[in-house]
Amino acid sequence: MNGRGSFEAWALPAGVAVPAGLPETISVGDSALRFLSVDAPWVEGLCTRLKENGEALRRFESDRLARILGAVGSRFLDPNDPVRREALERVSATSGLSPQMCRVVLDRMAADWCTERLRVLVADALGNATYLDRFRADTGSPVPGRRLRAMGPKLSVQVVAGSVPGVGATAMIRSLLVKGPTLIKPGLGDVVLTTLFAQALREESPTVADAVAVVYWPGGDEVTERAAVAFADVVVAYGSDATVDSIRTLAPVTARFHAYHHRISVGLVGRGALREARVSRTCADVAHAVAFFDQRGCVSPSVIYVEDGGEVSPADFARRLAGAFSAVERELPSGALDAREAGAVHQARALSDMMAATGNGVEVHREESALWTVIFDPSAAFAPGGVGRLVRVKPVHDIRSAPGLLGAFGAHLQTAAATGIGACADELLEALATVGVSRIVPFTDMAFPPPWWKHDGQSPLAPFVRWVETTGLGDEAL
Amino acid sequence: MRDFEELAARLAARFSSGDLNSWPDFDERAFEAFSVQYGENAPYRALCDARGIRPENLDDWRDAPLVPATAFKHMDLIVGRLSDAEAVFVTSGTTSRGVATRSAGPQDATDHGAGTRPATKVANPSRGRGRHLVRDLDLYRASLRPSIGRFLFAGLERPRMLSLIPSADQAVDSSLSFMVQTAAREFCSSVVWAVGSDGSPDPDELTRAVAADRDTPVVLVGTAFAFVHFIDRWESERSVAPRLPEGSRVMETGGFKGRSRTVTRDDLHEAIALAFGIPTDHIVNEYGMTELLSQLYEPTIEWGDAGGGVHVPPPWLAVRALDPLTLDDLGLDRDGLLAFYDLANVGSVSAILTQDVGSVGEDGIRLVGRSPGAEPRGCSLALDALLSATGASGL
Repeated sequence: MNGRGSFEAWALPAGVAVPAGLPETISVGDSALRFLSVDAPWVEGLCTRLKENGEALRRFESDRLARILGAVGSRFLDPNDPVRREALERVSATSGLSPQMCRVVLDRMAADWCTERLRVLVADALGNATYLDRFRADTGSPVPGRRLRAMGPKLSVQVVAGSVPGVGATAMIRSLLVKGPTLIKPGLGDVVLTTLFAQALREESPTVADAVAVVYWPGGDEVTERAAVAFADVVVAYGSDATVDSIRTLAPVTARFHAYHHRISVGLVGRGALREARVSRTCADVAHAVAFFDQRGCVSPSVIYVEDGGEVSPADFARRLAGAFSAVERELPSGALDAREAGAVHQARALSDMMAATGNGVEVHREESALWTVIFDPSAAFAPGGVGRLVRVKPVHDIRSAPGLLGAFGAHLQTAAATGIGACADELLEALATVGVSRIVPFTDMAFPPPWWKHDGQSPLAPFVRWVETTGLGDEAL
Repeated sequence: MRDFEELAARLAARFSSGDLNSWPDFDERAFEAFSVQYGENAPYRALCDARGIRPENLDDWRDAPLVPATAFKHMDLIVGRLSDAEAVFVTSGTTSRGVATRSAGPQDATDHGAGTRPATKVANPSRGRGRHLVRDLDLYRASLRPSIGRFLFAGLERPRMLSLIPSADQAVDSSLSFMVQTAAREFCSSVVWAVGSDGSPDPDELTRAVAADRDTPVVLVGTAFAFVHFIDRWESERSVAPRLPEGSRVMETGGFKGRSRTVTRDDLHEAIALAFGIPTDHIVNEYGMTELLSQLYEPTIEWGDAGGGVHVPPPWLAVRALDPLTLDDLGLDRDGLLAFYDLANVGSVSAILTQDVGSVGEDGIRLVGRSPGAEPRGCSLALDALLSATGASGL
């Protein structure tokens, strides 16, 4: 508990009383979280209040919102700020990530919450931030005589599953940037950072903070979830396919629903990155891309395709990658796995041991004292599923054949990282795009997409924005 | 090197004696099973050799290399030749057979499939679905009778069986169907398979079968999911479940993996009790998986409701809870990954590591469900994919 006692995992608009039932306590990692015992009528009341408070939020100029949210985000970067100190301490205790990893994650996440980056996000998503403030001419468009206005939701409800710290705060920022009040149900391992962001926001602007609620309840509580989404005009669900599907069925038909369902990512290493002079850098980059968030991210690769015929063979690459994992383990130690995650790692390791023993070319590299595993597997078939830094290295004769191996997983593909692909880059990009990948970057950029990334294929603000157009009502018509 | 048939015959005789007290000679039998498997199960021998473990240097069966349950999805683990298999039991992606535990909903990794043909022709392993090649069906019959006899049928005089699980004739590759059919022959006066031609449970057939004889106690068996589905349906139609005759019992098996609705063990048993008009201490959960030929049962018939949440193994099935990180033996009453050493598996592999979590107590094991509403901790397909096996992959 780090001497701080349990953490109250909620943030509510001013004037909203906590529900009558006593808060419940749940153990997460080394910490205890207290969460509200909510029921449907209380959630309905909360949503009504958030919608009412949206009126004051809409009076803010959009750029002022970017400045307010950016000021809050910057606090998480300031080593002297108590908010950052509390975040580091508590996120590590509740997310299952090591303290070293939490520090890196917070640094990278919070860097994207700063004003300048948020301004770029809005400008990139909308063309111009002032569409959020007033009707303005749709300049630069081939459509003549149109004026546009971008409207945020009256209420967005965002159900965020999982334990990737920062996802909940990022979701909150997205809705607020377009003047949409938001109710966030964070993932259990991300409750702390989401709540702390909302609390820090209150210190910066009570009015904006009144348009936010962070409330955790155990997932799958259909009655509560139905009550929450019933009032929303935008519903965003993050999580497993099953979780997203269950929220989808609860959302009102008139709400815009956006799914961030399960995703998988892949790495491609071409001969250019396998030269002796470069291969250790390549291995370090791949190992970091896997290790960030302990491979929990949808942008974490589970398979690395390595091209045959380079200075270093795929099997040798796997051995060297193991060395890189060992080094990363010292720099950014693994966090704790729960029993089932550890069980999955043991199943994969032991199965690979059996395959190796039966002579089909599989080689397993690992450290007994650590949880990372590199499996060299001559079978080129794609195998989703890495947990606790478990990655499969698979050889391909020609790196251009890798996209064809991903076809069955196209609907779930997210990021492809590529390096050393040289002359075939354009061809490879086209093939990856066609098969379903929505982001192609170097390994060094893989784990931390910028705020304006095309999240699962579109602007992250797109789900929140309703465009209003007007034509034919110029001065002469009036 | 021990000969499989000789050992199997001795074990079958021992199982058939119905002795469910502890086996003081378990260690010796376990060592014999290891010797047979090392000698004649090629993939297992390869694993043992890679670990440097041979019958000559194995001092304790606990040191026998553990085979991950997922290996059944990727390789054929049989003592002898593939053509020696008398049956092939296949795990099903849809008919999960874990348990709904007291604390929670779904269990992973345990399933007892619904199936295919006996192994006259054995080609490459089916990818994505596990399969257990069974050398000796008599041994399986002998091993399954004592536990189900004690924990489900004790004290009943030739009840009728009503099954929501397909017969072994209909689902030839299901170890669960084989088990239920064997038990019906052994313990019951008659059996009704209340199952449609597609293998799914048929509530109308069940209602008819109950109405046909309102006096003789029945033993109703089905998957947890089937019971939930029926109870939901009866509720929505405002109709009622058929009340079972006095003294009737229910055996449910299986969790809810991949299902839209999960129910805790206690809620499920209360709902079954209410629907069918029987007390909760007449409801038994069976825990088993295709990869293990032995089963564990809740001793509710013997102990009353105090037996809920406890699963008792037969004495020829050793269960250990292992540290999830180090795989060290945790001893009693501490939660860990469950590892089994099953002598009924002598024809395939006895030492099996599962992904199920639980603790081992003096009186039985206690399975730990996921905490309610728990989610895998990431936004990648990671854990689910590892748990549910990747269709096309080699690993």
